[in-house]
Parts: sequence; structure tokens; C-alpha cells
Amino acid sequence: MNRTGRDDGKIKLAGIDRILATEGPLIATSGFLASVMERVREEASAPQPIPFPWKRVVPGMLFVAGVFGWGAFKLIRQGLPEMGSISLAPPNLPAAAIQPVEQAGWVALALGISLLSWLLSRRLAGRSGLL
Amino acid sequence: MIAPLKDASASAPVLSSVNQGRADADLADVTRVLAGDVEAFEGIVRRWEGPLVNMAWRYCRDRGRAEEMAQEAFIRAWRNLGSWRRESSFSTWLFALAANVFRSDLKRFPTVNVPIEDAPEPAAPATQHRELAAQSIADSVRRAVLALPPRYREPVVLFYFHEMDIPAAARTMGVPDGTLKARLSRARALLRRRFPHLETAHAEIGVGDLDRGKEA
Repeated sequence: MNRTGRDDGKIKLAGIDRILATEGPLIATSGFLASVMERVREEASAPQPIPFPWKRVVPGMLFVAGVFGWGAFKLIRQGLPEMGSISLAPPNLPAAAIQPVEQAGWVALALGISLLSWLLSRRLAGRSGLL
Repeated sequence: MIAPLKDASASAPVLSSVNQGRADADLADVTRVLAGDVEAFEGIVRRWEGPLVNMAWRYCRDRGRAEEMAQEAFIRAWRNLGSWRRESSFSTWLFALAANVFRSDLKRFPTVNVPIEDAPEPAAPATQHRELAAQSIADSVRRAVLALPPRYREPVVLFYFHEMDIPAAARTMGVPDGTLKARLSRARALLRRRFPHLETAHAEIGVGDLDRGKEA
């Protein structure tokens, strides 16, 4: 604390503590209570919001999920034998076309790492209160 | 500037009975509101309007906005009154709820603040206008608190709002005491760096003043 010592039941406070600890009270304006109560009464008299009809929605959602699941199951079952016959051959691209793409990939990677380190340093600096 | 207060040991039983009376009244009013008596909420607003407006004021330093934020906190309290589990005091629950409201309000519409490094530092006090100079220094320090980064600003606001009661401030923020102490210490270091000459100024305050207002 910023206290500087005790003396006869009193605590000595240094400057910043003294200023912040001794702020005079602010009194609410005379209409504050009435205005809060007016809003409370409005809220109390407003009709209750209609609850979301979960009881009706849940069976429907379950039905839709079931249909999609069944469809996916059928698709996979029918598609698996055909999948085995597919062979993936790498595309035959000329070296002149591959090289710039490769270089662009390295540039993108470097930019990504720079961005990450910048974000990390900002976060660390923010935690220490510098930003 | 600060008058020494009464002896803490003499005022403590009075304060605790006042707090107990307040807690009983809160409990009675909450029970009535939950049973459907809307007007019973007026008692709660009457008892807590002062503390909530003051708390909001410390968050934004704008009187009009402080009242709006305090009103919003009361409305939120009204809506969620049923969620008060009576394990903690009503005031603890209300202050924590209000702090949440104020925090999100300030996140949506931040106050216009300058960074703490740019917060104006008052000139050397003129001897012929000592009181004005003291007022100017106090205003600068309070503005500098608002210029602190949010994670350090709130602990300072709540620590002094709760009259330097760390557990009460930590409960309101919903963080452990140690976290609050660490953030407070960092905040005070930033303020001290901004106002180094204030460390030499001293005033006396009674122990009773520090204990005053601690929650029931």
C-alpha cells in the first residue's frame, strides 16, 4: 500500500492514496429513483416473452438430423467401392510454372510468421501495461 | 482537508448493526419482489442508489452517464433478482452485477481518454491558491486513473470505491485477492511514475475511515 505508517490509531496515506481515497460522495439526482421505478414498472407490466418452442422444434431437428445421417450413410456405402478404383496422379506441370508458386508460398509463410510474432509482441506488451 | 475520524473500535458495532439492518431490509424486499410486489423494489433502489451512482461515476467521470449506467444496473438487478443465491450478501451480488454492466457499457461506448503518458500533469502549486492547486492535482490524478489500461483501471476504481478493502473489491470484480493485488500494484506503479512528486505529500486519515463501509 501507499501508506507510510501508523501513529495513534491513524494511518498516514501518501499523495495518490490520499487523493483517491477521499473523494466526496456523489448524490443521485432527485428524479433518479422515480425514473428507475418507472422503468421497473414498465418491465413488470410488459407481457412475458414467448418462450422458444423447444418441445416442437426438438423432434423436427431430430428428424432432419436422422434423414441427413441416413443419406450420408447410404452415400458412403455406395461410394466406397468406386473410390477404390480412382487413382490420383499428380498433375503434370512444367517446372517454370511450379517455381514462382513455390516462392510465393515461402513469402506467404514468412509474412504469416511475421504477423504472428507481431501479434504476440503486442499481446505481451499489452499485458505489461505498456500499450 | 481530511478530518480525522472517530475511533474505529467505537464506530464498529454501530456500523455492523447498520449493515445488519440493511441486509435484513434487502432480504425482506427481495422476498417481496420475488413474490410479485413490484413496489418493494423501491426500497432496494433507495438504499443502493447512492453507492451505485458513485461507483458508476468512478468508472466514467460523467454524471449523466453514471446515472444511466446505474439505472441499467438496477434494471438488470430487477430482471435477475431470482439469481441471487443468499450465500453472499445482497450488496456483494449487486456490486458484482453492476461492475459487469459498467464494464460492458464502457466496452461498447468507451470514454474519451488520453494515454496515461499524455495525461496532463499539474504545474507546481501556487502558494496563494493552495486549495485550487490541490484540487487541480486531485483532478489530474483522477483523470489519470481513467487513462490506465482497462485491466488496471478497474482494480483501482473498485479498491478506492470499497474504501481500500481488497477482499470486497476482489469479490466485486470476481477475481482472487492475489490477482487484484497484483493488478493494483502495477496500476499504482504506473500512477507513481506519472506523478512522482505526489509521493512526498502526506495526509492523515483515521483507521475508522479505512474500515468504514466494509460489507456486512
